[in-house]
Order: sequence, then structure tokens, then C-alpha cells
Amino acid sequence: MLQKTTINRAMLQVLADYCSATTEAMAHTLMRTAHSSFVKETEDFTTQLVTVQGETFASPKGLGATWFTNLDYGPALRMIDHYEEGAIYLTSDPYSGHVATHAPDVHAWKPVFHNGELVCFVACHVHNTDVGGAVPASLSRSLVEVHQEGIRIPPMKVWQNGEFDQNLLRIIDTNVRMPEQNWGDLNAQIACLNTGEAKVREMIKRFGIDVIMACQSELLDYAEAQARKIVSTIPDGEYFFADYADEDSDGGVPCRVAVTLTVKGTELTLDFTGSDPQLGSSLNMPTGGNPRHALVTIAVVLVLSTLDPHLVLNAGTTRMVHAILPEGTVMNAVAPAAVGMRSLVVAVSQLALLGAFQQALPDRLAASPGGAASLLNVKTIDRSGRQIMASIGPVSGGGGGSPQRDGVEGSGGNRSFLRNTPVEINEVEVPIHIERYGLVPDSGGAGKYRGGTAMLMEFQVFSPNSVVTARNRNRTRFASWGVLGGKAGMTSSFFRNPDDARRQDLGNIDVVRCNPGDVIRITGPGGGGYGNPAERPVQSVLSDLHAGFISRNGAAHDYGVIVSAEGNLDVAATELARARFGIESKRFEFGKDREKYEAVWTGERYDALTTILLTLPITWRFYVKHRIFEAVTDEVGSGGARAVFDAYSAIAARHPELPASVPPAN
Amino acid sequence: MGQRIGVDIGGSFTDFAILDEDTRTLRALKVFSRPDEPGAEIAAGIRLAGERYGISPDQVTYFTHGTTVGVNTVIQRKGVKLALFTTENFSDVLELGRLKLPAMFDLLSRRPDPLVTRDMVWGLSERLRADGSVMRGLDPESVAIATRAALAAGAEGIVIALLHAYRNAEHELEAKRLVAGLAPGIPVFTSAEVWPIIREYERTTTAVIGGYVQPRIAHYLGSLQNALKGLGVPAEARLTKSNGGVMSAEQGKTDCVQMILSGTASGVIGAGFVAKACELRECMSLDVGGTSADVALIVDGEPQYGMGEYIGEHQIHVPSISVTSIGEGGGSVAWVDEYGVLKIGPESAGSTPGPACYGRGGQKPTITDAFAVCGIIGQADLGYNAVKVDVEAARRAVATLTGRTGQTIEETAEAIIKVAVSGMYAKITGLVTRFGVDPRTTAMMPFGGAGPMMGCLVAEEMSMPETVVPTTPGVLAALGGLVADLKNDFIRTVFVDLAKSEIPKIQQVFTELKAAGENWLRDDQGYDGEGQVTYSADMRYRGQSHDIETVLPGAAVWAGDVAALEKAFHDAHEKVYGHAQREAPVQMVNLRLVMAGRTPKPELPHIDTGSGTPIPLKEIRCWISGRWIPVQLYARKDLLAGQSFDGPAVIAQDDTTTFVPEHHTVRVDAFGHLRIKKESSDAAEDNN
Repeated sequence: MLQKTTINRAMLQVLADYCSATTEAMAHTLMRTAHSSFVKETEDFTTQLVTVQGETFASPKGLGATWFTNLDYGPALRMIDHYEEGAIYLTSDPYSGHVATHAPDVHAWKPVFHNGELVCFVACHVHNTDVGGAVPASLSRSLVEVHQEGIRIPPMKVWQNGEFDQNLLRIIDTNVRMPEQNWGDLNAQIACLNTGEAKVREMIKRFGIDVIMACQSELLDYAEAQARKIVSTIPDGEYFFADYADEDSDGGVPCRVAVTLTVKGTELTLDFTGSDPQLGSSLNMPTGGNPRHALVTIAVVLVLSTLDPHLVLNAGTTRMVHAILPEGTVMNAVAPAAVGMRSLVVAVSQLALLGAFQQALPDRLAASPGGAASLLNVKTIDRSGRQIMASIGPVSGGGGGSPQRDGVEGSGGNRSFLRNTPVEINEVEVPIHIERYGLVPDSGGAGKYRGGTAMLMEFQVFSPNSVVTARNRNRTRFASWGVLGGKAGMTSSFFRNPDDARRQDLGNIDVVRCNPGDVIRITGPGGGGYGNPAERPVQSVLSDLHAGFISRNGAAHDYGVIVSAEGNLDVAATELARARFGIESKRFEFGKDREKYEAVWTGERYDALTTILLTLPITWRFYVKHRIFEAVTDEVGSGGARAVFDAYSAIAARHPELPASVPPAN
Repeated sequence: MGQRIGVDIGGSFTDFAILDEDTRTLRALKVFSRPDEPGAEIAAGIRLAGERYGISPDQVTYFTHGTTVGVNTVIQRKGVKLALFTTENFSDVLELGRLKLPAMFDLLSRRPDPLVTRDMVWGLSERLRADGSVMRGLDPESVAIATRAALAAGAEGIVIALLHAYRNAEHELEAKRLVAGLAPGIPVFTSAEVWPIIREYERTTTAVIGGYVQPRIAHYLGSLQNALKGLGVPAEARLTKSNGGVMSAEQGKTDCVQMILSGTASGVIGAGFVAKACELRECMSLDVGGTSADVALIVDGEPQYGMGEYIGEHQIHVPSISVTSIGEGGGSVAWVDEYGVLKIGPESAGSTPGPACYGRGGQKPTITDAFAVCGIIGQADLGYNAVKVDVEAARRAVATLTGRTGQTIEETAEAIIKVAVSGMYAKITGLVTRFGVDPRTTAMMPFGGAGPMMGCLVAEEMSMPETVVPTTPGVLAALGGLVADLKNDFIRTVFVDLAKSEIPKIQQVFTELKAAGENWLRDDQGYDGEGQVTYSADMRYRGQSHDIETVLPGAAVWAGDVAALEKAFHDAHEKVYGHAQREAPVQMVNLRLVMAGRTPKPELPHIDTGSGTPIPLKEIRCWISGRWIPVQLYARKDLLAGQSFDGPAVIAQDDTTTFVPEHHTVRVDAFGHLRIKKESSDAAEDNN
């Protein structure tokens, strides 16, 4: 029925089905044959069909990671001069085309030819458990240079005629900690790409080469048209929002991601000017300034998919996005900045964008989800002296309250893909005792629609030199924001021996060396609330109380619902208390810590900081930022931006390498 | 002279398959289902068997049936109000599930609401260690408090699911005894008794689903037993299980998790039986109903098994025939999006109002309507004269889309069919790669009301070499119950390294499981033939978190042959994942035993033999590949073994319509199954 030369638009779904089936077959092949648990359990992999120009035009919805549905392979593809039929190419270098975004991610692709003509590429990526470098698993916030983060492979040919490049394999073998795993996963990637190539050939046979050539741009255009249609329902305007990582490095100061979202017709501009300079830690995002880089547009994809679940996801979906990513900032770090833990700032940038979109679509989007999920690992020794190293699961926060429902408990929003590990499996495999695993009462931000409660895990270790790592720790200081009168969620926490005299607040530390008998308690951040809590029906508050999502104190304090110790509702006292709640509905409720912080670090001061730092050499920015933060600690009475410029002048006076003065903007 | 009866109770029709024990002949019947009065359809069927075949109720020596009452109770959330008792500090197990949300790209995605709300969950003061030893004894006072609170809150049943109960059930049993003392008569279910597997969420939710449906199922099975007794049927009622076996209705009343997928499993067992008779090595069954299509893989006549099968949004973690449901059936609605792209579903007209062409009030164009417009269905009576196809209504419904597609009604109808087929292609492709199956050596077996009209088209897209349409696609599920063996699964979590030192423990557990199996087969099921025992274990490499169920050679188990047991696992790993680490240490998580009692199997009847090409009923015109062409219409009952004919063709029978596309050839085999193959197109392909 399909004609050979043009595509009947009504039949485009048939081709979409075939393309998606191809990437699904690739994904299942990868999952089935991979070795590492990153692929099998965490599903940290992707499979794609990619145009000759590098645009991803198909990926499997719901299999693998959610981040790369619109990945632009172009810059890396173009670093290969000449493609050979039957050959496979790969890269893991974040600074060669910005396709791989940290060294553990190995992206591989294979060209598909038809009668000597390049038709498209099949591509996939896998997060390798370890690629060498300074620390096991290659990732730590403390690293400051990409060279510490493991072996990096620039785009190159690695496989042809059924044979690997043996030299490359020997180099990998020499540089990583568990070479059999990397080797196994690499083989799985080869199998995946060969499956993909065979499937594309079947499609060419079934529909003809002209249709397969034409359908690629048709599918991209289709996604673009759908996305533009959705964007056109978003009110035009300029929406500014900023969110923070608690620390920009070990024990550091906050890291701000600021974005101005401009909606105009069917176009979206995301201007990240005002975001922090690139950091002396591994939280940086290597985007190369690509205005549609997949790491930057995830939140856009999530928002548009939420507004219309039928949206086709490919590079066309974000064609109407233009992101401004100033060079030398966390949003566009330059080499040799470390990037291993970029996922933490990626999450913050998603939350910043969600805050901007929430202003545009208050009736369709939720308050802030918990947004930060700590990934817990334990290294310890069992009774026989055997070393055990195991992931014991994520501890995440609840979803944000939404215009119609409470937030999801324990996870949600932009962290919906995480799976946990059962308590029973953890206790069998890892010599720890889990004392408590569940939800934290009162942690969800109060609201007409309550934020989802956060998770809690408490466990005890028994051997000396046990090490607990918690990657992606965040939100211990800056809470998940509530909207339209809804309150902020409870912040996350991390304690050693929380209930005795040895109690130690671990804050955002991501590596803890433990003694035998130490108890670790970690909680995630609660989701923000939606709407004025006084509007939450008393019956819903009582249900939450009976369910244990809130306490009796929480009911009284957060909702003005007074219940006696015996569980009886005090109607009169409740009416009185609720009346006092008033009808005021703040647009955003950020929580005490952020309010206090922003009393010092106002928008005006941040503007001044941005103005100063952008004029400095990139290598100086992180240093100067920290010195200015040391100098500026008072709340703004008068002066405002002046204090920042003064602080800079004092620093410049000590360092002749710096420009002596920086003119205030405008 | 005994008669064995298998019944499948579907939404609209109830099918009977009747096996004569002496002659081994098989007969079929169909009556309307009576959801309003369970048992009435059985009575009607047995009466009809008397009228038609002279079978009296007292001749019925064996009676088994498949039912969807369990699935429906969960999907419609019509179960009972339950309380859940967990280990203290772990009471959020149902709220958290396995954390992951169903729709990863939807910021507002939610987990399905638990069947027990959080306010109905209480923690008990107790704690076991991972090895099953007691860390904190069970505090009876905590049980008393929880029980009183649960009763006050209106609980109609109590589920007790404590940490590590798969290892040591004693705390659960003690709590159950205490509850029985405090609240005599209230049903109590413990997670280890329901299905003792490691992983607290999976074990808990499985027990909860069982408890949730139990009173409904017990009531239903009780009425069925009474109905049979009232009719004078001496046979004890049995029912098909999710695991492809059969058990007594009496066991089903309490062991509900074993029968929830009874209805779905029956069809696949029947398909497996036919696949075996047809000597199909690998076969994919495609059961297309009104709102969905169920796909299952059958290897050497055996359905494939899995854990975690879906019941609506919920998963149940007992061994079940693995069936993947695709949200696309004959009633799925076609629509055109804003960009002009034609889409199918997820909206479905179901059986009410149904496709527009059924004339029951449906207005929207469905897949079935597209086939009607193309002239493929509606040329003969459907469904025992129950449904007349109104082609004009179908055309009117499809015409609502032509403005958007810019095509004629016929072109749009054919486009709907193509999109429907490609949707199934996409889902089935994912499935075959997950199973590691090569479609080019796999046959397609379509059944269900809408299966045979789509089967060849899907097989062609999948490059499957053959489509086999069973003689009576509608009766396959009834046949499935009839041919299923008595079968029960037994499991014990052991969590040991596979090593010489652990062999005595492994043998001890298998001895106990075997004794339990024998007891079940002899005492509970009253079976006196020889029991068939299969040993297996969920095994893994140490450090991995996913296990593979590995069948173990019985001889190696009893000889304590560690090397042979390891080899069984390495081989299984290699088969599933394409590689094995033959030097790596191996762990056994669960030991399993299947006890089966073989039941007599019917000989599928041979039909009369003919030759040449059958005489068509008439010539009709169908819209195929963009034009009206003449197509031969055959009556299924006129076809004789050995006859063959070419597509395009339409074959009508009481319960379904088979469509044979162009360039396909049909051969009628000795049993009357249609064996449809595509003409080889290798020569053409090589030129591409």
C-alpha cells in the first residue's frame, strides 16, 4: 500500500511502529546479553536510530534511560572521516562531540548502507560500572579534572568484519577495574547494533529504500509538529526560575542554576545565563553549548509528554527549543572540567525548568518533586572475611502535589525510573541489618494537594572499615518548593548514629567510613505541596493521619486540623485554626533555608556575580566565586549588588592577574 | 462410558469440549454466558449435550473449567476490604512497591492504588533475621492491638506478611493463631502459605491479591459445585490454574492466587495441545478478543512460564503461563490525529457497544469495521447467528475519518488494517527478541473471535513461515482445560551456595517438597496414577540479583552431583543470555518442585478426506491492496482434509472468519486445521 517515493501521511504510524520495534529489539538484545547490573537492573542504557546527520529519529519508549530520546550524535559522527560498511564506531569522551556525557557512558554506532549509500545509523549506549580513574566506579563529586574519571575513548572505529580492534581492547583492559564486565557489555553493544542493522535492512526490503530514506525526516517533522502544537497551548511570556544544589563541591557553597524560559508562539528559549560558573568538582554538564543538548532538554520532553502522552519522542520533539548555555558555566563546562556526577546538576536544571514551566502552566503541572535521589552503596566485609560491595538502592523523595492529586509517595516526577532493592535481598546479600524502610510522616509539603512523602532507610553495619557511599546527595538545605500556597517539602537528611550521643549530621557528604555498629539513617526530600493547605478537606487530612502520612502535630500545624490524643476531631478548634490560615497563596514557597539564603544572595547580587564572573578567564571563576561568597554574608539592608562588586575589587587587588574592576552591567 | 468435559466461560459465550473416554472422540458445544447467574450456563450446556449427543449428567466423570472471575474482581476492584499486618517499621511496603512508576515520561505518573489502603496496614512487633533466626519474638499484644483496630475499621479479611517469612513462617503462623483466637471466622492469609518467595513486596502483594478475591471466588465456586450437584453430575468440579495445570474447585476456594489467570491460561494450553498435534516446534498463539490481544510462546507444545504476570495494573508473583497482552482488539477504535496520522486505540468499543457493524449502538470505526468495509467479514453469519454484520454501518463509521485521511472509505479501511497489524508487529517483535526466538522458524496460531481475520497479516509482517488456524478456534480454551494435567507448584527459598557441603540441605528440602507434592496429588486431588515430578531451582551467579529458573536433572539432585547441577545452570544462562561464566560460583535461591498427574488426552478427530480444491460457497468482492477483486468464500465445514486452495480467500465458520491474503496457499490438514503459507518470495528479495 505504501508508495515507493512519497509517504502517505496517514500511514506514518506503520513506519513509526517499525522503527520503534527495531529499537525495542535492539534494547532487548542489549539487556539479554549485557553483563553489568547497570544494564540489567538499573536499565542505564539507550538504543536509537539516527539519521545521517546525527538526529535521533526513533527510540524505544519505556525501555532504558529516559534522557537521550533526542540525542544529537552529529558532532561525534562528523569526527569520523569515512564510514565503512560493517564497521562499528564508539566514543566515551565527553569532550569529543558531547555525545557521551561522562566517561562511563560508552556510545557506539554502526552505519547502515544500501547499495553503497549511507541510509542511517543504529546506535546505543551503556553505562559501564567502572572505567578506571581515581575511584571505584569512576564517579565521585570530589574529582576536579576529567582525567581522573577513567579512560576516555575519542570517536574511533573499533570493530570490523567480526573483529575487535585488539589494541584498543588491551588499552581498556589495562585501565579498568573489572575488565570482564566492560568486555561483556561491549559485546552486548555489538550484538545490539547488529540486530538493529538487520532490522533496518528488513525495513528497506519491506518498504523500499526511498520510503526508509523519506520516513526519517517525516518522523522528525511529525514529532516537531506535535511538539509545536503542544507548545502553542502554553501562554506566551517570560518565566524566570532558579534552583540550587546545596553544595557546589565537597563542603562548598550552593550552586545555582537559573533559567529564563521564553515562550513565544511555538518556540521555546531557555536562557541559562545567570547559572553558576563551572565548578571545581565533577558536577559540571558537558553540553558544548549545543542549543538542543539532550541533557538540557529532558525537562522539556517530560513537560510536553505530560501535557500530551501521544507525543512522539525523537530529535524533532525539541527542534523548537533554543537553549543559551554560556561557556564556562555548569551548563556548558569546558575541558578539562570533571563531569562524572553531572547527573546532580542535570536534576537541578530540570527542577529549575519545571519551576519556570509551572509558572506558565499553573493548572497543568505539579509542585517540585523531591528531585534528588541518593544512590546508596555499601562496601563491607562478611563473617568469612569476604569483601562485599553492593548497591542497596535509591532513597528518593516524593512527587510534587499536582493540580488534581497528591504527589506520589516515595518517588516521582523526574525520578520516576528508579527501582528499589527489596529489604530481604539486601539483608541476604549484604551483611547489614535494616532497621526501618518506608516513608517519612509529615515530609510531604502541605497543600490542598499534598506533596508525596519521602523515603527513609535506616541500617546498621557490623564490620570495621565499612564504607557507605551516597551518590547524588542533595536537598538537605534547599527544599522542594510548593506552589500556589502549597508548602515546601521537608529537606533530606543523612545521619550517623541518629539516636545516641555519637550522633553526627553527615549533610551532603557522599562517602562515609563507618565503625562496627554504626547506624546510618538517610531520608529523601519530600515533594512540594500544591494549593493552600487550608483548602484541603478535613476528611483528607484525617485520612492522611490514619494512614500515617502525617502526624497529629502535622495535622494541627500544617493543616489546622486539631485531633485529640484519642483520635477525636475537635471541630471548633479546627474551624478556629483553619480560619487563621487565611487565604493568602504565595506563588512559590521555598522553605526557610532558601528564604534565608536568598535574603543574602538576592537576584540583584547574583546578577552582579554573573557579570563579574563572565568577564574572567574560566580557570579563575570557581576560585573567585568562593572568595566572593566568603566576603558577602550580610543580608541586604542597603548596598545590594555593591557588596559583590566591592568584594571583587578586594580580591582583584590581591591578584594582579585579574582585571582590577568590572563595570556593573548596563 | 465416561465423558470428560472442559468448559471455558468467556464474556459472551461459554464453550464446551467433551471427550468420550472410550472412543477418545472430541465434541464441542457453545452456549451464551450468564454472568448474572453463574452455573446457569453450565446447566444449559449439559442439557444441550444431552439433546445433541445423548450424554446424561451421570456419565460425566471429569469436569474442569476456566474462569475469569478472579481477574475481573481485581480489575473492577470489587474484592473485599482487607487489613494488612507487616513487620513494624516496614508498613509502607505496598505504597512503595518497587518504586518505579509505570509511565516514565509522564511527570504525573502514579503507581496503581494498592488493594489495601495505608490506613488498613498495621505493624507487628517482631523481627526475623535474613537466615530465619529470631531477632525479636512476636509480641502478642501488638497482634491484639492490630486485630482490634482492623476489625473496628471494617476489615473483612486479614493478610499477614512479615519480613523473611519465606525463610521461617513461624511468626506469621503464630500471628494467624492469635488472630483466630481474637476474631474467629475472619479469613486470614499468610504470605508464606500463599507463595513463599523472597522479596517482601512481591510476596506481600501476591498474598493481598489472593485475599482480596478469595471470598468472591469461594462463593462463585460454591455455586458452581451446587449447580453441578443439582444436575446430577458425579464428577468433582475442577478448574484450570494459572500454571497451566488443573486443581480441584475445593482447593481453588482457598488457593486463589493459583487460579486467577485460569481463563487466559486455558486458551494457551489448548493452543499448545494443537501445536503438538501439528508438530509445530515453536509457535506463537495470538488470541484476539474485543479489547486486547493475548500473545504467548509455545515450544514443543509447552507454554512458556513466567512470574509477575499482570492482572490489570497489578502483578502476581506465582508461576504462570506467560501471556503478554497487547491493548489492541477487534473493537479498538481508529482515529486520526491533528497531524493527519492514523492511530488505533487505546480506546476500544469492547463488546458493548461494540464495533459499529454489530449494530448495537457503536458509532466509532473499529478494526472489525475496517474488515467489514473491505468485505472480509459479514459475508456469512457470525457467532451462531447472534450477530449480523451491518456493512453500511461500518462504512458510515469509517467515513467519519475520510475527511482527515484524504482517502476513500475503502482506502481508509485498509489503512486501519495496516496500522492495526503494524501495531501488533511492533509489540510482538519486542516479545520475540525478549524470548530470544527467531520468528522465521516460528508458526502463528491465531484464535479468539478476531484472531483468524488478522493472523496471516501479522505473520506475514513478522516473516513467520506459517499460520495455523485451529479447527474450532473458539473451543480452544475449553479444550485446554480438558487436556491439562493435574499440576501443583511447590517452592522453598534456601539461599545457599551450590557446594558439596550444602547438598544434604538441598536434598532434605526436595524430600519435603516431594512429600508435600505426593500428599497433594493423592489426598487432595484423589489421583491414583503415577505422579510426574520436575525439579528446578531459581539460580544465579553470586553477586547477581536476577535469577533464572533452571530445570534440574532428578538423578543429579539425588546423587548430589554438584558439577551436573552447575552445568544445568550454566547452560540455562547461556541459552537465555548468550553467555555463561562457567568458573563463577553459583547460588540457589529457591528450590522448586512441580507435581503433576497426567490426565487422558483426546485424539483430535480426523475429518473426512477429499482432494483438489474445495468448492467455494460463492464468490465475493473484497477490497485488497487498493482495489476490489473477486475472492472465493468458503464454508469451514465444507473443507476436507488434503484439499488446498490459494488466497485471496475468506473462510467463514460459526465462531470466526479466517482471511487468507494474496500470495498465500491454504492446505487443510488431517484434523481440519488450516495450514496457511506464503508463497516463497526469496527470488524477489534477492534482487532488492
